[in-house]
Amino acid sequence: MNVDLLHLLHQAVFGALAASGFGMLFNFGWRELPGCAASGALALTTRTLGLDAGWTLEAASFAAAVAVGCGAQLLHAPLLHTRFGTAGNALAVAGCIPMVPGSFAAQAIFGLIALTAQHPQNAGTMLVTTMESMLRVVFTIAALGTGLSITAHIRRRRDSFL
Amino acid sequence: MAYRRGNDDSPSVKVVTQSGQAMMKDCMNIPDPKNTPNPVVLNHRELEQVAGAALLVAHRLMETGSRAEVVHESCSLVARGLGCEHVNLRSGYASLEITLDSGMNTITRMIEVGTLGVNYRLNHAIRDLVRRFREGSGTPAAAVAEMTRLERDTPRQPPWVVALWVGIACASFGRLLGIDWAAFIPVLTAGAVGQAGRHLLVRRGTNVFVVAAGIAFLSSTLGGLGARWAASTTVNLAMNASVLLLVPGVPAVNAQSDIMEGHPELGGARAIFVIMLLMFIAIGVLIAHGIVGAPS
Repeated sequence: MNVDLLHLLHQAVFGALAASGFGMLFNFGWRELPGCAASGALALTTRTLGLDAGWTLEAASFAAAVAVGCGAQLLHAPLLHTRFGTAGNALAVAGCIPMVPGSFAAQAIFGLIALTAQHPQNAGTMLVTTMESMLRVVFTIAALGTGLSITAHIRRRRDSFL
Repeated sequence: MAYRRGNDDSPSVKVVTQSGQAMMKDCMNIPDPKNTPNPVVLNHRELEQVAGAALLVAHRLMETGSRAEVVHESCSLVARGLGCEHVNLRSGYASLEITLDSGMNTITRMIEVGTLGVNYRLNHAIRDLVRRFREGSGTPAAAVAEMTRLERDTPRQPPWVVALWVGIACASFGRLLGIDWAAFIPVLTAGAVGQAGRHLLVRRGTNVFVVAAGIAFLSSTLGGLGARWAASTTVNLAMNASVLLLVPGVPAVNAQSDIMEGHPELGGARAIFVIMLLMFIAIGVLIAHGIVGAPS
């Protein structure tokens, strides 16, 4: 596996910025924003490593969600719990949002609209591309949700969300 | 049971929200049980107050981004902390219903839920309140008063700070998607303007889908024209990156969690909301592509 460290750093930095921007949108306090940034950086680093290793986008996204979910569960450890409280799960979600495949979703919808034109050119190819985009959206979101949910449920107590 | 019957020393607190006002009215002037001819009526009134307080907690948790299980657990803990024996909650996308049992008495109440959003600080302040009230140390009136105080006093980031950070987030997303550096500032500006516009429209009460289409059009057009002006070679990606502030990430994750955790109706409704919102965003971007002239 060839790892381009500069590319990895680029993805981590912009993943951190994107996650902290979403944290701000969700009304996180200034105290939690570094946690959001760390969560986004961890998610994008893991996903980039997975993609560099030749995994599919869905598999890499799943691994990234599991990594972020495990990180969030560590925040429930006594030492870190006083600093972050119950913020762990929310931080994990904020970190995973930069991996939501919005661009593929847009491509899929554009493709569907183009297919319904009166005389679409290369309709067969377009249909395959559109279906591929749609399936990638569905499977990637499923991978993110599943990765986060599995880690949250492994250590779940009845009132663990409190 | 920590909640005392006939407790009439509840604090009189000015309540801001309409639903809170109605509940506070119900929490006042509970008659002393010794002077009440019909104790069953008294029990019903007490249950009604508990239902009001528990529903208010559940309602606010839903509106601030909690998944169904958190809402159910929180509501149940508050109701039990206030003295109920059995609690049943049904959560729909637009309403919540609760049935409380205590001894021979049963009561069912419903509350409407408004637009579902995300407000981390208010959500976690409410969870702290649930933690306090589950110990059985409060009254329904105190719970409602505390909820009202939290809604009033929980701070929010200034809108211009949020707009700037959202712009930075969109531009960062753009870099992850592959936009070149020339498109970075145009996407940042388009994202920030889009967030400012969204804030104004949401405050005016505009329909959330109309807001999504309108802001997608505005941000995408600004991002595309700006990127073209800056001689970017990734105008198409810049237009898509400018609308990433609208991607409903939390509802998408919550939809899946709800289905996994045994709430398929709410999860399904959330999933449909996500699909509809994506379609409205796509319509806005598609019109912008027609104006800017970039291939979609």
